[in-house]
Amino acid sequence: MTGPARAELSTSLEHLVVGYVIAGVVGIGLGALLWSWRYLRDATSPYVYFLYVLPAPVLVPAAMTLFGIGFTMKVVLIAFAALWPTLLNTLDGMRGVDQVKLDTSRVLGVSPLGSVFRVVLPAAAPQIVAGLRNSLQVAIILMVVSEWEASSDGIGYYIVNAQQSFDYVGMWSGIIVLAIIGIVANLLFVAAENRALHWHYGARAVEGTR
Amino acid sequence: MLRRSARNRGWLTYGLRLVVLAAALGLWQGLSAAGVIRADEFPSMSQTVTALWDLVTQSALWSAVGQTLEGWALGLLIGAAAALLVGTLIGMNGFAYRSVIGVIEFFKAIPVIAILPIGLVLWGATLTMKFALVAFAVFWPLVIQVCYGVRSLDPVVRDTTTVLQVRGPRKFLMVIMPSAAPFIATGLRVAVAVALIVDIIAELIGGGSGIGERILLAENAGPSDYPQMYAYVVVAGILGVLLAGAFAVAERYALHWHESQRSANEQEQGYPERRGLTLAASLSQRPSPGRPGGDPGLAVRRPVPHLVVLVGGLQVAVLPAAVVDPEGAVDPVGDRAGSRRAEHVA
Repeated sequence: MTGPARAELSTSLEHLVVGYVIAGVVGIGLGALLWSWRYLRDATSPYVYFLYVLPAPVLVPAAMTLFGIGFTMKVVLIAFAALWPTLLNTLDGMRGVDQVKLDTSRVLGVSPLGSVFRVVLPAAAPQIVAGLRNSLQVAIILMVVSEWEASSDGIGYYIVNAQQSFDYVGMWSGIIVLAIIGIVANLLFVAAENRALHWHYGARAVEGTR
Repeated sequence: MLRRSARNRGWLTYGLRLVVLAAALGLWQGLSAAGVIRADEFPSMSQTVTALWDLVTQSALWSAVGQTLEGWALGLLIGAAAALLVGTLIGMNGFAYRSVIGVIEFFKAIPVIAILPIGLVLWGATLTMKFALVAFAVFWPLVIQVCYGVRSLDPVVRDTTTVLQVRGPRKFLMVIMPSAAPFIATGLRVAVAVALIVDIIAELIGGGSGIGERILLAENAGPSDYPQMYAYVVVAGILGVLLAGAFAVAERYALHWHESQRSANEQEQGYPERRGLTLAASLSQRPSPGRPGGDPGLAVRRPVPHLVVLVGGLQVAVLPAAVVDPEGAVDPVGDRAGSRRAEHVA
């Protein structure tokens, strides 16, 4: 692929990265908030679940009417769709924290906020990471869908444009690029995960579960 | 903290949920009425609810739902059957597993959306295109789950089977399937949701008929049809909740004998508030010590929590939320089943 394709790719990846980072930060934050406040969790759980199950691509037309077809619309869509897997996994992981660990940290005089960072987050980390990985896949799909429907640039637009003008070589090369994006993103994620969680896998290997 | 009886807490929860629903809908209506949201961009709550009601009484909605479900069910069936077969064959042979797993991981990482144009070129905007895409999307993650499940077979059980000369279909049905069932159930739970999303993408973008296509048509028809568009969006969400809920109920019935379900039931009895959204936890990780466990050998069969659909059809309150656990699921290499077993041994 030549120059133009590279430019298309950079816009797409920009949307992806910004949306994904927002989703990750907000997802972990909201997940922690719901974990710490039980009434809020109970009261909102059916709606959180509804939003998680709602197939995010149906929101593309709605996002277009609200945010136009620019940068904002794509980032909002990607962030919104990728938010829920991270949020639910964060909540789930934090609920699984060993009560003994929490009690111990309190006895040792760790402040509540301190124990969130020093006990709860590390304990929930493996599941948060699993959620983040799922979010990444969702984010890639939404990146393409949002460009497909409403855009004048980006890799999704490139593919659909090539398909509609019967340029099958162009379409296939776009598809291959997309597949490569998915695979490379996954590899990067796994590498980061191994680095961040090597203590966890190490501990598991010693314990000999499995 | 004051201890409340389980029943009281249940009613309090439902009350809170209704309050949240009312507040959200009220806020929506208020913002529209105050002009913060422009009517030609985003319809008011009352308009959307009216449109939803109109749709419910028309056959157009139901035929769209039927078409969407058709693609969903066919794709899921084909993808799952293929994954079960291939996954079992691969999982039973160590050499095959080591040879193929890399390739499968590779295909799994390809976004489905990249395959959509190929489907469109091959089949056009047809039902075939829809279920082929769904089957493709469902196949890869599920086949990996099945492999892990088959490989998780207890060595003692495996050796016993060999000694007793149980082979072929009988071994498959009586030994391998029950042992792999929890893995497969986890994989299927994710597949149910993924299949619906992919099906709707295929309609929304590929133009296959169904809910996705209706959303697109309503959007193209301009502002006067926006309430209808949002009504369809709500329908898509409700459909997702119902399908996932139905799957959770089915899973409970099918796997009620398995220790993961049993411990989930017991925990639920001890802690009623664990129902709803977060019951996922009980399936996905070990219960912390000190929780009233009950006799693990005793399979308590609880009545299946029903899907209570209340006011406005939105209050899907008692979802047996085993459903939620979105990914932890497919993800870390049989992690949860490993910990599940470890906890049981300990």
